[in-house]
Amino acid sequence: MTRRGLFLPVVCVLGFVFLYAPIVSLVVYSFNDSRLVTVWGGFSTRWYAQLVTDPQILGAAWISLQVAAISASLAVALGTLAAYVLTRFGPFRGRAILTGMAAAPLVMPEVITGLSMLLLFVAMEGLVGWPAGRGMTTIIIAHATFCMAYVAVVVQSRLAGMDESLEEAAMDLGARPVRVFFDVTVPVIAPALVAGWLLAFTLSLDDLVIASFVTGPGASTLPMVIFSKVRLGVSPDINALATIIIAVVGLGVALGTWQMRRAMRGRKAG
Amino acid sequence: MPDTQTAAARRPWLDPTAQPFVRILNVTKKFGDFTAVWNVSLDIWKGELFGLLGGSGSGKSTLLRMIAGFETPTAGRIEIDGQDMTAVPPYERPTNMMFQSYALFPHMTVERNVAYGLLREGKSRAEAMERVAEMLKLVQLTPFAGRRPHQLSGGQRQRVALARALIKRPKLLLLDEPLGALDKKLREETQFELVKIQETLGITFIVVTHDQEEAMTLSSRIGVMNEGEIVQVGEPNEVYEFPHSRFVADFVGSVNIFEGRVIEDEPDYIRLASAEAGCDIHVGHGVACALNQTLWYAVRPEKLRLSRTDPGGAFNRVPGVVDEIAYLGNLSIFRVRLDSGKMVRATRANVARVDEEATSWGDRVWVSWTDTAGVVLPR
Repeated sequence: MTRRGLFLPVVCVLGFVFLYAPIVSLVVYSFNDSRLVTVWGGFSTRWYAQLVTDPQILGAAWISLQVAAISASLAVALGTLAAYVLTRFGPFRGRAILTGMAAAPLVMPEVITGLSMLLLFVAMEGLVGWPAGRGMTTIIIAHATFCMAYVAVVVQSRLAGMDESLEEAAMDLGARPVRVFFDVTVPVIAPALVAGWLLAFTLSLDDLVIASFVTGPGASTLPMVIFSKVRLGVSPDINALATIIIAVVGLGVALGTWQMRRAMRGRKAG
Repeated sequence: MPDTQTAAARRPWLDPTAQPFVRILNVTKKFGDFTAVWNVSLDIWKGELFGLLGGSGSGKSTLLRMIAGFETPTAGRIEIDGQDMTAVPPYERPTNMMFQSYALFPHMTVERNVAYGLLREGKSRAEAMERVAEMLKLVQLTPFAGRRPHQLSGGQRQRVALARALIKRPKLLLLDEPLGALDKKLREETQFELVKIQETLGITFIVVTHDQEEAMTLSSRIGVMNEGEIVQVGEPNEVYEFPHSRFVADFVGSVNIFEGRVIEDEPDYIRLASAEAGCDIHVGHGVACALNQTLWYAVRPEKLRLSRTDPGGAFNRVPGVVDEIAYLGNLSIFRVRLDSGKMVRATRANVARVDEEATSWGDRVWVSWTDTAGVVLPR
């Protein structure tokens, strides 16, 4: 009993250290006054000040946020449609292919996805003249494509767990299928849609490889800017930027959790 | 003859000129290789409360879902009020359904749940709300109009589901195990409430249930289903007292069945020799059968008499030993092992507060029955 009692906390602490020590050190060093990343030179917020005056970083952050928001929304729309077809339409011709295709981006190496997207865009430009050149549009399309697979997985499990007689009941009461979808299905799977959107948003915000392939002049996302800066040596302002990103993501997760808790409490009360 | 007049009006299936309201004609439903419903034909009249009774997998729910339009028959036709409904989608059918899970919309209040059907019909908000208020009054849910389904008890949810299914005044209401999720006491109350509502509104009901007691309490007629087929249709007492087959006899209520061989076949009686019973069985009416044919004799537990003394006679009486007694208050159930080894079940209403014979475990008793107590079954 005692051994088990000691073993668990030790492993737990080690696990957390392994996961979070790098992040903690990054946050700590973002307040480092020294220009050298590895030497502590006292507390300072000068890198944060420098960051908000850097037009390159701010521009990239704005592009990243736009790309993430638009591609997440597209991915939710497309992924939900795919999930709906796969869970509700029973066996149909080509179902196996659709299942495989919808899930393929989950396991496809990013390099391949990026490269094939690039080839597609180049070929399309040659054939139909759209998209003209590469830039934000192509990144959005590429991100929507691979994020869609994740959304489809999340939404599919929620749809499968939903009581189908809810949809039948709406139909029985005189609602046509499209109406049923928006009146009943969407509200019931709304948590999955929100979760899928957040997941897609994060994935898009994170992505470096695919964006690097399909981007063009003037459309550098935040990860691309960070990566190119780091190649010239890690500067403390990157630490500051990373800390801000962690704070924003952490705040988002906390808000989401709080919102969900509140919804659950409202459900149980009364 | 005012009595026969009302009787005929209440029992249209006895009137050969009456037009059925729902006609199910040779309907078959297959899922791949599995046949869920096989060649079912059924007529249901206006104002009936028809019970579809069967075990799980008997096809009763599939049949109901075909009437609602959620499944398309593989073969056959379904007509409602003279119109062919086979290819009509559920949202255009004059039917509404109450689901086993109730299927209340979790994101809508009780009021909006009930109003949903009316709003889809294109009714104005004001008119819809007026009718919803009326309906909620009928099912006694007015104080709960603003609640969400998860804030209600099982019985309240059941009534919301009923209100929502009734609000469009459907020609035909389909109920899938409507009382399955309620506890026994509530179920009994709700059964009578359901019948009262059905009589008030005059809507035709089709109720699917696996509970034979529920089917008996609710229904004007019962259709018993087994393995996708309708095996018998009749009024509750018909199905109980005059089953067509061993399956129906056994499924509806409990029964003792003896296998026997015809040894006397006269116009006004037959006699069976039954090794299983351990005595001859005398049946007090003529039966279409042949000598030496194997038949089954089914007799309900409440029609068996237990006595400590030999009732006498040459048939319909057999000795045995009391193996088990279950005292249920209003009645007692005895399991008696006959000398042939067959176990029979007999019930006795506890009309007196003390059993004068004091029948107890291990006692030797005589089991007897009259010559009209049971039915002869050919299969």
